[in-house]
Amino acid sequence: MNIYQPHLMRIQEITDETADTRTLKLEFKDPSVAEKFQFSAGQFGEYSVFGEGESTFCIASPPTRTGYIECSFKATGKVTQALRRLSVGDTLGFRGPYGNHFPLEEMKGHSVVFIAGGIGLAPVRCVIWNVLDLRDQFKDVTIIYGARTVDDLVYKRELEEWAQRSDVKLCLAVDPGGETPDWKGLVARIPTAVETAVTTAEDSFAVICGPPIMIKFTLPVLAKLGFPGERIYTTLENRMKCGLGKCGRCNIGPTYVCKDGPVFTAAQIQELPQEF
Amino acid sequence: MKELQELAHKLLSDGTVKVVIGYEEGPRGVRPAFITDAAQAGTLIFDKRCVQNLAAYLNPRRKQITQLGKAAIVVKGCDARSVAGLIREKQVERDNLVIIAVRCGGVLESPEADRELTSETVSVRCAGCVDREPKLYDYLTGEVLPEPPVNTRRTEQIAELEKMSPADRWKFWTGELSRCIRCHACREACPMCFCVQCTAEKTQPQWIDPSPTPRGNRAWQTMRVLHQAGRCVDCLECERACPEHIPLGLLARYVADSVERRFEYTASEDPSVRAPLGVFRNDDGEEFIR
Amino acid sequence: MTQRFLSNAGLAALVTELVAAHTRVIAPARASDDPEQIDYVSIHKLEDAAIGVRLPRRSLKELFLPPSEVLLYYRQTKDGVEIREVPTKAPPQVILGATPCDVAGLEVVDKVMGWDYRDELWFGRREATTIVSVLCTVMDSTCFCTAVGLGPDSFRGSDVLLVPVTGGYLAHVITPKGEALLQGHGADASEAMQAEATAAQDEARKKVEPNLATIPAELSGWLAKNFDNPVWKTIALRCHGCGACAAVCPTCHCFDIVDEHEGADEGTRRRNWDSCQTEKFTLHASGHNPRQTQSERFRQRIQHKFSIYPSRFGEILCTGCGRCSRSCPGGMDLPKIVGELIAMSQAEPEVKNQ
Repeated sequence: MNIYQPHLMRIQEITDETADTRTLKLEFKDPSVAEKFQFSAGQFGEYSVFGEGESTFCIASPPTRTGYIECSFKATGKVTQALRRLSVGDTLGFRGPYGNHFPLEEMKGHSVVFIAGGIGLAPVRCVIWNVLDLRDQFKDVTIIYGARTVDDLVYKRELEEWAQRSDVKLCLAVDPGGETPDWKGLVARIPTAVETAVTTAEDSFAVICGPPIMIKFTLPVLAKLGFPGERIYTTLENRMKCGLGKCGRCNIGPTYVCKDGPVFTAAQIQELPQEF
Repeated sequence: MKELQELAHKLLSDGTVKVVIGYEEGPRGVRPAFITDAAQAGTLIFDKRCVQNLAAYLNPRRKQITQLGKAAIVVKGCDARSVAGLIREKQVERDNLVIIAVRCGGVLESPEADRELTSETVSVRCAGCVDREPKLYDYLTGEVLPEPPVNTRRTEQIAELEKMSPADRWKFWTGELSRCIRCHACREACPMCFCVQCTAEKTQPQWIDPSPTPRGNRAWQTMRVLHQAGRCVDCLECERACPEHIPLGLLARYVADSVERRFEYTASEDPSVRAPLGVFRNDDGEEFIR
Repeated sequence: MTQRFLSNAGLAALVTELVAAHTRVIAPARASDDPEQIDYVSIHKLEDAAIGVRLPRRSLKELFLPPSEVLLYYRQTKDGVEIREVPTKAPPQVILGATPCDVAGLEVVDKVMGWDYRDELWFGRREATTIVSVLCTVMDSTCFCTAVGLGPDSFRGSDVLLVPVTGGYLAHVITPKGEALLQGHGADASEAMQAEATAAQDEARKKVEPNLATIPAELSGWLAKNFDNPVWKTIALRCHGCGACAAVCPTCHCFDIVDEHEGADEGTRRRNWDSCQTEKFTLHASGHNPRQTQSERFRQRIQHKFSIYPSRFGEILCTGCGRCSRSCPGGMDLPKIVGELIAMSQAEPEVKNQ
């Protein structure tokens, strides 16, 4: 069995989240694979356009919903531009699931605070739905999500769904200057939004994903609230090719992002050599 | 040599430069030296094993070197032509560099073992050299040395290639280039390959196939050697770096000779002289436009 | 593990038999472009080989991980995409007369190739290959196999190790594959032969041991703790970042995966050799590069070989063959550099980060 051989996927649905971010809903062409396919929240895959190459994204849909997977991406390079040129019904490749995952089992019975910025909502969204699909196994669920402008918010239809739910505390924010006249959410950067929306770290886990600068300024806020490094989870990215530990590219010191990650605690990240 | 060492000592002690890039004795023969401490200036040497073209270390992308500060560089006449190229193409500022030229009597092919200079051991690139007395420098050191013997091996190889039919030449080069593994060592060792993004690494569009296949290799090598036309000084660092021992210098020399024939130009030691690839003249030949 | 005696004629006969049975035999031989140099090539008879003359220019790596290999063929059809698989079973072959450093390198790389996901392209070729190594007597001052725990008579990765003795070779038959290869060949090895072999092995070890003392186990931890030590800023100034070292190294295995068009509708997905020494190795699509200068990239090379791989797999990712140093156009010398780092780790065992 050639580990580099991808599954063939058919594009079922395309959603443009923003001007530059697109979500693809994919189904396995081989029904026997579709039946058996399982993954855990936080894992990633190598998505490919045949003839252009492979690209690494998390699996953005939750493991509780079977029969399809989703990915969200921005068209920045050769492969992502090629992905954007595909239409519903087109075929692409998928290798995965790779990497470790968020510790859902550990989080059960506790509260979870989700914090995301921009396209960073994609990996977090997977965990959010995983938790919401098993809602009664968790205590309080808080979601703090922001972007530079209203247009940059992704998964807009799901943000509305979460806003309607009484068992979710949703706090949306846009950066100062990014609001529209009818914007009802906060006008603040994420670290400030977290200060406003989160009052306690008691019995809580934090799941955070977004631009490095957002994380840099939010972690001290979480620390001040009393979140220990071991209960703050995030994901790391690095340039990847094989995704399964052989090509030697994604390591940060002795840690391989594709094998030991992509999910890490803030405590683990502090121990890493600063080479990412 | 003493002259060179004392000069380096002075330039470092009085703060004129922060680093002297030259040659020193290493575990396996001569190797590039980066002297930042005046007390170490005595390690600088110059002899017929000083094959390396140190101009590659002036590449502004080499931040680990540029952050050392203003440099002095030891150059042979041929190397000085690379430095002139870097100045001409605005990669290095003349005022920010001290050029210590050394009179040369020819070099061996390898910096490793010391041996007598004969027509077999002398580097092929020394044949026909007119730069033994360098012209681009702040300081000129060393004694005048006798003219080196001439190694005709490459001239003979080129003559053989010119006698071949295009089909045979294609077969020859496809064969030689089949060994290319696209490691790009040739590019990294070359003083004139300083592009921030090499054409071979552009993915949108992918001009050059990245894989080591006959097609990709031919495209890569011909593109590189054509980008060197009129800029290459025949230092043969590309050939020395190549782990597959491909005769890259043969291709480079052939293109350099073509530029000389067509434009009466070789990579000049004078940075103010404009190179053919950067100039359009009204009397440029156009016979290839039919 | 047993010893047998194989005469020169007996070895020649073995080669002839293998070739007649359409088994590919690969051995060191004089290079076609430079008879002073040795390459591993296919041979048809033993006299085509040049064993024990010089370390071959390139390692055995390319026989198991080619510089470029196809991972799959694809073709666009009106219904989507068709994939044609590549075979993972390889035809049988015998490597004869390889150096112990090259052979050990294969076993070292097996660890990462079998890490959770089994790379069948690599192991298909490994399984199809029987390896006969030969005592190394061609060491020079750049070799340091004993420093990394190997040696000119190392058994690692080998099925049979031949030691030259009067009239032929003493064969250390190491594995069942080796046993199967020598079935019906050779004779009993006398005590005198065994003594001669032992003496030759000892002499060979004595020639390479002085080059670099055994790398202490503590180096791996010191390197990990001294990630930000100022030494990294100056240790690789002469390094061009050309990657020639990775190309010739028996244990460097890092690769790239690319797709290539072969026509409007079809093409290949390939894996190609790559190196952490190149600038774009870790370059993100955003333009961010965690290893921006050659200092950091060279640090990665040392860390991977002497700290990371040992901490993950219990092996130094180096067999001491010295090719990196011999091929370096910038005059980098790995055994000297490792020696300097060892001295630093012993003089200042604590962390000395900036």
